[in-house]
Amino acid sequence: MRSISEIFAPLSYWVSAAGISLNTDIFEINLINLILVLSILFYYGKGVLISLLENRERTISNTIRDAEERYTEATEKLQKARIRLQQAEIKADEIRISGLAQMDKERQDLVDAADNDLNGLEDSKNNAIRFEKQRAFEQVRQQVSRLASQRALESLNSRMTNQLHMQLIDYHIGMLRSMSNK
Amino acid sequence: MQIEQLQIFEIDNPHQVSSVEVHAQVLITSWVVIALLIALPVVATRNLQTIPTGLQNFIEYVLEFIRDLTRTQMGEEEYRPWVPFIGTMFLSIFVSNWSGALLPWRVIQLPHGELAAPTNDINTTVALALLTSVAYFYAGLHKRGFSYFGKYIQPTPVLLPINILEDFTKPLSLSFRLFGNILADELVVAVLVSLVPLIVPVPMMLLGLFTSAIQALISATLAAAYIGESMEGHH
Repeated sequence: MRSISEIFAPLSYWVSAAGISLNTDIFEINLINLILVLSILFYYGKGVLISLLENRERTISNTIRDAEERYTEATEKLQKARIRLQQAEIKADEIRISGLAQMDKERQDLVDAADNDLNGLEDSKNNAIRFEKQRAFEQVRQQVSRLASQRALESLNSRMTNQLHMQLIDYHIGMLRSMSNK
Repeated sequence: MQIEQLQIFEIDNPHQVSSVEVHAQVLITSWVVIALLIALPVVATRNLQTIPTGLQNFIEYVLEFIRDLTRTQMGEEEYRPWVPFIGTMFLSIFVSNWSGALLPWRVIQLPHGELAAPTNDINTTVALALLTSVAYFYAGLHKRGFSYFGKYIQPTPVLLPINILEDFTKPLSLSFRLFGNILADELVVAVLVSLVPLIVPVPMMLLGLFTSAIQALISATLAAAYIGESMEGHH
């Protein structure tokens, strides 16, 4: 080969020029032994290889299937957990609202009770005051009437003579007689 | 049996024909191996499915195997970028060895030399070993900077000459291990065939398949181990 162009010459020219030839002597090319070796190799090797590869394929598909199952399970659980969360939130809101209402009601009750107590005390106070006032009036009246009658008695005792007394008695008898005659 | 090399002249300059020796039979078989290794994933990743079947399952399994191998040798944190390199080493050596043992190369007869596994040539294996050397040097320098050279005086500075020597013996041993195994297997099978052409060489050929597969695994594992070793001790 003196130049590159010779590479592109037709194959037959190249073969004959370079002296490459086909050897068909079976023994020399060791064909029988090669075929024997290859057949033994395939016979034993195929079984091993096939079982290995099938194992691998089965493992892979199992793993993938397991992973997918776990994925769907996980999404379902997530869904359920979300629903429960919503329900719990609603319930929490309800509890809070009812709690607030209860608080208000109790406060109102306390206020009312206090008002009632206040009114009761006020009433009793007023009653006591009135009672005392009346007692005071009674006392004063009694005192005034006692004083008045005392003074009348004194003036009577100081001015009354026997004659005047008898005239007074006669006057009263005459008045009583005229009243009984009517 | 001849193990000569096929000479090819280099692309010539206009005024001179220079000659560099290239082992063309290794090139041809290497190209076949490369074509196989490229065609296989292209075909298998045609119709990617989540649950793999058939060919896709097979190459995924191979990928997992290589990834496991790398992860075992290099640890969990830093194995990821090296999986392609170790995978290339393993697959190319494996397919080279097995193609050399299983494909009927002798059908094509060359004027000089003959076609066989590309790894039965010392140049191939030395190239792979030097690649591994460069890889672990690069890994160490990239990860630790110039303190990588501190590893030469671990654990004691007395071992410095041995550590330097190790840098030369590592590629040497890698290349010669692979080369010796493959070439020796080919030679033994050839001798047996020339003695008893039919059934007798078959066990030896089967053993050869087994050992060449082991050699591919060993080369890849050792490459990963060297890289991992040069990257560790970082913390």
